[in-house]
Amino acid sequence: MPPIVLLWRNLWRRPLRSILTVMSLAVAVFLICGLRSIITTIRAAADNCDPRRLAVMSASGLFVELPLHYQARIDKVPGVEITTKFQWFGGYYRSQKNFFAQFAIDPETMFAMYPECKVEPDAIQRMATDRTACIIGSSLAREFGWKVGDTIPLVGALHPHPEDKAWEFKVAGLYHSDRPNFDNRTLFFRWDYFEETLKQGGVPPAVGVYSIRVAPGADVAQVIADVEDVFKDSEQRIDCTTEAEFQRQFQSMFGNMPLFLTWIGAGVLIAILVASVNTMLMAMREQTPDIGILKALGFTDGSMFVLFLLQSTFLALLGGGLGVFGALATAPFISAGLEMFAPGYAVQPGTVVLGAVVALAIGPIAGILPAMRARSLTCIAAFRGE
Amino acid sequence: MAQPLIRLKDVTKTYTRGGETLTVLNRLALDMEEGGYFALMGPSGSGKTTLLNLIGGLDRADHGLVAVAGEDLTVLEGAALSAWRARTVGFVFQGFNLIPVLTALENVELPLKLTGLSGKARREHALHALELVGLSDRAKHRPGQLSGGQEQRVAIARAVVSDPKLILADEPTGDLDRASAEQVLTLLDKLNTQMKKTILMVTHDPHAAQHARTIVHLDKGQLGRIEHNQPAAARA
Ligand SMILES: Nc1ncnc2c1ncn2[C@@H]1O[C@H](COP(=O)(O)OP(=O)(O)OP(=O)(O)O)[C@@H](O)[C@H]1O
Ligand SMILES: [Mg+2]
Repeated sequence: MPPIVLLWRNLWRRPLRSILTVMSLAVAVFLICGLRSIITTIRAAADNCDPRRLAVMSASGLFVELPLHYQARIDKVPGVEITTKFQWFGGYYRSQKNFFAQFAIDPETMFAMYPECKVEPDAIQRMATDRTACIIGSSLAREFGWKVGDTIPLVGALHPHPEDKAWEFKVAGLYHSDRPNFDNRTLFFRWDYFEETLKQGGVPPAVGVYSIRVAPGADVAQVIADVEDVFKDSEQRIDCTTEAEFQRQFQSMFGNMPLFLTWIGAGVLIAILVASVNTMLMAMREQTPDIGILKALGFTDGSMFVLFLLQSTFLALLGGGLGVFGALATAPFISAGLEMFAPGYAVQPGTVVLGAVVALAIGPIAGILPAMRARSLTCIAAFRGE
Repeated sequence: MAQPLIRLKDVTKTYTRGGETLTVLNRLALDMEEGGYFALMGPSGSGKTTLLNLIGGLDRADHGLVAVAGEDLTVLEGAALSAWRARTVGFVFQGFNLIPVLTALENVELPLKLTGLSGKARREHALHALELVGLSDRAKHRPGQLSGGQEQRVAIARAVVSDPKLILADEPTGDLDRASAEQVLTLLDKLNTQMKKTILMVTHDPHAAQHARTIVHLDKGQLGRIEHNQPAAARA
């Protein structure tokens, strides 16, 4: 065994270098944990979807609208329990920069279909009685300081108000979702208000996406096939998919995010590995005379190997541990920041394990080269500074 | 006379550098008895350090016999050689002596980490050795906070702490001023006369060599004169 006291003391030989090394390891492991958390969160969004919920959109793409009368035809397909519709409003509050999603919806069917979107009974009540009512996600409310009773003016960039002014929505209540497939940063308002206002301006309303819930006992694949079949000769053909598939397609609009993030993570890992090898080699060169002394005193080649492997492992564990801790500690803040893109951001236990494995592995890998050199170095060479 | 502690026979050592072979030690033969105090002198490059390294098991002869304390060092290797060194030899080098990040006490304790002694016993032994060299009040100091002479004395404490038979010192006073050198030499005298250590010291300094009882001259890899001397310590 090498003298263990050297582990700690050598760390403080060049305090600044050690601190910088530990910090860079911490940042790298933090990034790796963070990136993986985004990936698992994105995946969770699709995995958490109710398998009995389907989405219907235009076969030409998400941004192509569907006729309003399709709902009645979908309702008639055997196995369809409920349908509800969404239309992207695409407005903004004061400035284009204040971006969040707004949808026109049918409150009754929407709430029935999305039990994960939890709304106070009072709010549902208020929503029913006030045509201009809306409900907003808890994160959105926190972000803009909106309360029940507030009026939110939104400029209808996509759907201009016929009187050439901002649309006004009155906050009937907040909703909160604890599932990653449903974010907390959206505003939902009443379809009838949307439709009637548009009609005042002579614009016929259309639907972005229909959602379907398949009746218990019905065959999901069969329902999908049947729904698609209904519209196969219509002016607008449709795509019917499970909600999970829909989520995945939606996410892939930004490219293959998980793969992209995995590559970034791998890049970070390689960069930190190369930097660590360099640091460990520098430390080893600096300790060359010590190796000579220790070997002359009778410490074996093997114990010098262990010493350098341990030094490197110690440093990496310190940095990596800090990184994992940082990832856990910052999760609530990151979660708030990523609400719209990856709702329900959380550091999974598997990610903590990944961070720990990286922290554990970097040390020995970065230390193996200097450790081998320390093992083969002779006293004579060490004293001659070779 | 008893078996010599160090027996060299036909020892040859060459270095090859850039295709050229340099014979540093050429068929050297020499016996050194246990309890002796030897000074090794010679011009720079004559092979003094090389010879010391062979005797200390830090380097290997190309040829010949190097037997020290009953072991043939030409066949000993690896962990067995390390263990032999830990048991048999204490080193004092000119530079590179102490580990800069360890305190004086920790430096002295190092060789004891290779023994089965408890932490407490190690500390006691190390403190005792520091006392022997008159530096117990510097136990907590780092080498950087010590003078050159003090560093050498700590190195001597470390060389004797595990009670080896043989002390090998390569120019232990080379970097020191007169007074510090004298302190170091007095200590070495003490190790030889009181603790019965066999000492082999390389030196350029004729005055330092006068402390030894045998002065061996080395020139171009071959043995020169051997002087027998009445050392100052014995005269006193
Ligand atoms: N590892 C090595 N590789 C090549 N040549 C070496 C090596 N070690 C020593 N030498 C050469 O061997 C010769 C003897 O070296 P050594 O260090 O034994 O001399 P020395 O008598 O101790 O000299 P000094 O009084 O300067 O310390 C020198 O010419 C030196 O350059
Ligand atoms: Mg020399």
